[in-house]
Amino acid sequence: MNIRFKITSALLAAIRADLRRPHAFAHERIGFIAAGLAAAHDNLLILARAYRPVPDDQYLRDASVGAMISAQAIRAARQWAMDDRAAIFHVHSHGGRGVPGFSGVDKRENAKFVPNFVAVAPHAVHGAIVLSDTAAFGQVWLDRASPQPFIASFSEVGVPIRNWRAA
Amino acid sequence: MSRLDRQSFLGPNSDVILNAATVGFVGGGGGGSHAVQQSAHMGIGGYVNVDPDIIEDTNTNRLVGGTLADVASKLPKVEIAERLIRGLQPGARVISVPDDWHKAADDLKLCDVIVGAVDSFRAREELERFARKHLIPYIDIGMDVHDLGKNGFLVCGQVILSMPGAPCMRCCGFITDERLAQEAKRYGAAGSRPQVVWSNGVLASTAIGLMTQLLTPWHPNPPTFVFLDYDGNRGTMTRNPRMDVLKNHVCPHHPADETGDPLFDIRTQAFTPRPVAKAKTLPGEPVPWWRCAWNMLTGWAS
Repeated sequence: MNIRFKITSALLAAIRADLRRPHAFAHERIGFIAAGLAAAHDNLLILARAYRPVPDDQYLRDASVGAMISAQAIRAARQWAMDDRAAIFHVHSHGGRGVPGFSGVDKRENAKFVPNFVAVAPHAVHGAIVLSDTAAFGQVWLDRASPQPFIASFSEVGVPIRNWRAA
Repeated sequence: MSRLDRQSFLGPNSDVILNAATVGFVGGGGGGSHAVQQSAHMGIGGYVNVDPDIIEDTNTNRLVGGTLADVASKLPKVEIAERLIRGLQPGARVISVPDDWHKAADDLKLCDVIVGAVDSFRAREELERFARKHLIPYIDIGMDVHDLGKNGFLVCGQVILSMPGAPCMRCCGFITDERLAQEAKRYGAAGSRPQVVWSNGVLASTAIGLMTQLLTPWHPNPPTFVFLDYDGNRGTMTRNPRMDVLKNHVCPHHPADETGDPLFDIRTQAFTPRPVAKAKTLPGEPVPWWRCAWNMLTGWAS
């Protein structure tokens, strides 16, 4: 299976702008992307629809990580997955240029909370994405048991269209 | 020096970008054949050509690449397009679908851009909706000839760039319920609509310009919504006034939550690779000696 993530330039720009906002105590911001899904031959298309930032008061004080969010924030995203039959992707930014990667903390935390989305909306895939200022990288949970493949390519749909391979 | 040297102003990586792109061409007639030909000249690497029809005698006034011999051999329009592409891009990734575009849905979903050169409003609307659902920019071209009575005829048309999130053909007022209803009423009763090669050429050229802007723009801030009117009597291609009126308009007809397949379920979805197309010799290409020999042998055997 080849996984391709598509997002409009306008939505991606709005996400980057939101994630750049400083928070009172968290070192970085977090949000969630809802996406529709489609299949084409052996390709899984993840088609970004909308973005919701985690509200300021749903961050927890934790000096050991860039940002920690509350159970309430996760619950709201889970509800979104159920209500809209959507694929949900946790998103944050590392800034910089080029294709970014997950940190050790990212990998640990993703493995903890993404399966929660699979539990409430098993018809969809879910996952996590990390942005840079010019690209993105992501991983997908197909279900609770299978290995979690990386997103092979991203398409930013705007003028111009930008495609990049990430895995 | 490469054959694309004279278009190097499109950017240092433009050859690579154009070669990596896959464009869907729905409709291989007067407008579509021009668009395919120009894309091949420009070095587009991937094609999904869709048209259910074979070439007929009355198509030869405008179908670029089509010959009288093709009419005699009842060649599908998509095969003519493929031959045209291969003459310029021998290594192109070409998928030819001589069928309704719905049968090519999986191939079209993987396109970077779709160019529609179809006859009806209904087909336009369906294609645009399909493109929006899969976050694919859609470029629509179409021409018409109106009888002006004593004043002769008006040759006209339109080119519309419909980007996900930007104004759509309904926002433009180009597709309306009235037009769809009128079209449905005349369905099957209308004769062949007038079509000419030069206006198709103007419209297709403009569409390919827009497609190039999407892939490798040559100036800053090209528009994300384009609605151009062609007047073949005046010889003009002008911005429709709605282009400015709708500049920051958010399309209400294709909401973001309609993106994707509403019935998608990862638990039941089969992901099967596209069957590899058999190598074929296109009409007009020399047949390799070994195939002649094989044909003779298998012919004798039967």
